[in-house]
Amino acid sequence: MNNGVAELKAHRLPETAFTAVAAGRGDPAVIRLLQGAQQSKHTMLLHAIAEAVGDGDPADRGAAAFRAGYELLTRIQEADPGASAWLLGLPHLGGWAHDGLIRLDQGTAPDLAYLACAAAAAAVRAGVPFELDVPVRDGHVLLPGLGRLAAGGEAAWVRLRYDGRHLAAGDGVGDGVVVASRVALGPDYGSGQPVPHWRGTPAVRVLADGLAWDVLLVTDDPYLDRYTLPMSAGLSDRELRRWRQLVQAAWEVLVRHHRWAAEPIATGVSVIVPLTPQSETDLISATSPATFGAVATSWPPDPVTMAETLVHEFQHVKLCGLLDMVPLAESGAEKVYAPWRQDPRPAGGLLQGIYAHLGIVRFWQSQRQAETDPDNILRAHVQFARWRVAIEGAVDTLLRTGCLTPDGVRFSGLLRDQERALDDEPVPGEARQIAGEVALDHRLTWQIRHVATDAAAVEKLADAYRRGEPFPQQDRPGVWVQEDVRKLGSSVRSRLLNMSYLEPARYRELCAEGVLPLSGADRMLFGRDAEAAVLSYRDLITGSADPQPDAWVGLALALHRLPASAPQDAFAAHLPVLFDVHSRLGAGYDPLDLASWFG
Amino acid sequence: MITQQQNVKTAIPDLRDFPLDRLAEMGGTPLAHSIALYRERLKENGVPLSSFNARI
Repeated sequence: MNNGVAELKAHRLPETAFTAVAAGRGDPAVIRLLQGAQQSKHTMLLHAIAEAVGDGDPADRGAAAFRAGYELLTRIQEADPGASAWLLGLPHLGGWAHDGLIRLDQGTAPDLAYLACAAAAAAVRAGVPFELDVPVRDGHVLLPGLGRLAAGGEAAWVRLRYDGRHLAAGDGVGDGVVVASRVALGPDYGSGQPVPHWRGTPAVRVLADGLAWDVLLVTDDPYLDRYTLPMSAGLSDRELRRWRQLVQAAWEVLVRHHRWAAEPIATGVSVIVPLTPQSETDLISATSPATFGAVATSWPPDPVTMAETLVHEFQHVKLCGLLDMVPLAESGAEKVYAPWRQDPRPAGGLLQGIYAHLGIVRFWQSQRQAETDPDNILRAHVQFARWRVAIEGAVDTLLRTGCLTPDGVRFSGLLRDQERALDDEPVPGEARQIAGEVALDHRLTWQIRHVATDAAAVEKLADAYRRGEPFPQQDRPGVWVQEDVRKLGSSVRSRLLNMSYLEPARYRELCAEGVLPLSGADRMLFGRDAEAAVLSYRDLITGSADPQPDAWVGLALALHRLPASAPQDAFAAHLPVLFDVHSRLGAGYDPLDLASWFG
Repeated sequence: MITQQQNVKTAIPDLRDFPLDRLAEMGGTPLAHSIALYRERLKENGVPLSSFNARI
């Protein structure tokens, strides 16, 4: 153990490890480097909280519990460094320490007593005896990473005693005493006998082709309930069985077809947080930089989607770990286009998205070979093609923000190299066409929503067009990102486009039923009659007194299906300006003629 | 030119083997500096959260 203050050094990160993370891979040894840094980060935050607590008010029960927990953790570190390292590496502790620091900085009281519970959990693992007061929540004492002990009473606090073999909550005699033996005090893998008074944290140990993964399914820790959706508290035994089966099935997909991802995930993901979606069809997953090693997700529809989600979120986990060690982006006010989001994103958010989608591209690259059903093969090819192209454009956008540090520029260059290495991978024509169309629809819809134009320059262009003058190249209007500058109506067309490869069977069914609220032009587009769709969208725009942003995007999509032309290029490159100029001109003007003038 | 043998400069002190009961002795050392930097990052960036909707 290091006993010298002067010997304190920064974490070591070899260039090879930096390069491996940037390449979207990172073997277990690299993941352990990131984990080590998180352990130090959590220790650092714990120390900051300890300094703020100081000797404090002896009557403050939370502060007293914190000090007792800190003292116990010090003893555990001496007796069993592995147990203290386990605790300091837990995402639960990371979330608590992170929130504690924020509360201190905001002048509100941190949940100090949580540390006593956390230290008790590590002491039980290490077999280190203790006696300390801990808070009771919903009748239980929470031992993060292990489980919950029934407190045996209504009191808000209870004395917890541990003699190295048995854990007791209560005064040790008479009513309200709960005792559980050490061997039983662990996570619940769904196969053991119930232990009186003890509810182990649900967990699953999965195995495929000799590769094992041990992961907790946490739904009761307040510091892992930090995502955009609430955690699925109170899962029934049946629901837990389903989660365990799903994780096993997803693990088989990962190990058999994505070994490059499976091994690091087994090392780096220790917690899955099941989330409650707002609707049954909604699939949301998330990670937080405060909780390294935890991945949150709502129930995915199938094991392949769960596997993809794990790959995606683990990319975020890795990048969050690296960002704690090496700043890659500085905060900046500018927000830009991200091909996977409906809102403008800051540089840091775009970097996260690019990195996550590199993992997704790799996943679908391999998954294309694993699928046997024609619909699933199509989905895999489209996913691969769509996100592969998106990465390169997004890296260019990111570099243009000027928000990257020198290490960030280097990291982004390495990311782009990875994408370019996939450029030669062949994709069938149908999948390539769908991918291009979905990407175009997303980009143009985003531009209509969030790209503002210089009103005076737009007016000048409209005047020049009315007078029949040539397009004044020097007067091209300036554009900038501005959230929700225009409103779009229905998103049915976009959802149907996505459905054409995400759920092809449902797509065919809906198209056959003909019940969707689509315009006549949209129906022609989906009916593969691009020429008729172009004319129909044009008539809709020309004949309407009100701007028709949905029709403009539809017209761009229909043109995209026809041979290259000047209007096609103008729609793809200057849609917000075209739209605004046409709005100034008013009804009766042909959008295709206007686009040709731009071209 | 960066070679693969080099280390990348990192912002976190290695505390893995450091005795918890001696952290208080660190005072105005690189540890305090690292904590200040971390606090600054939190203030600048807020609490970022990845949130992915697979249906988009």
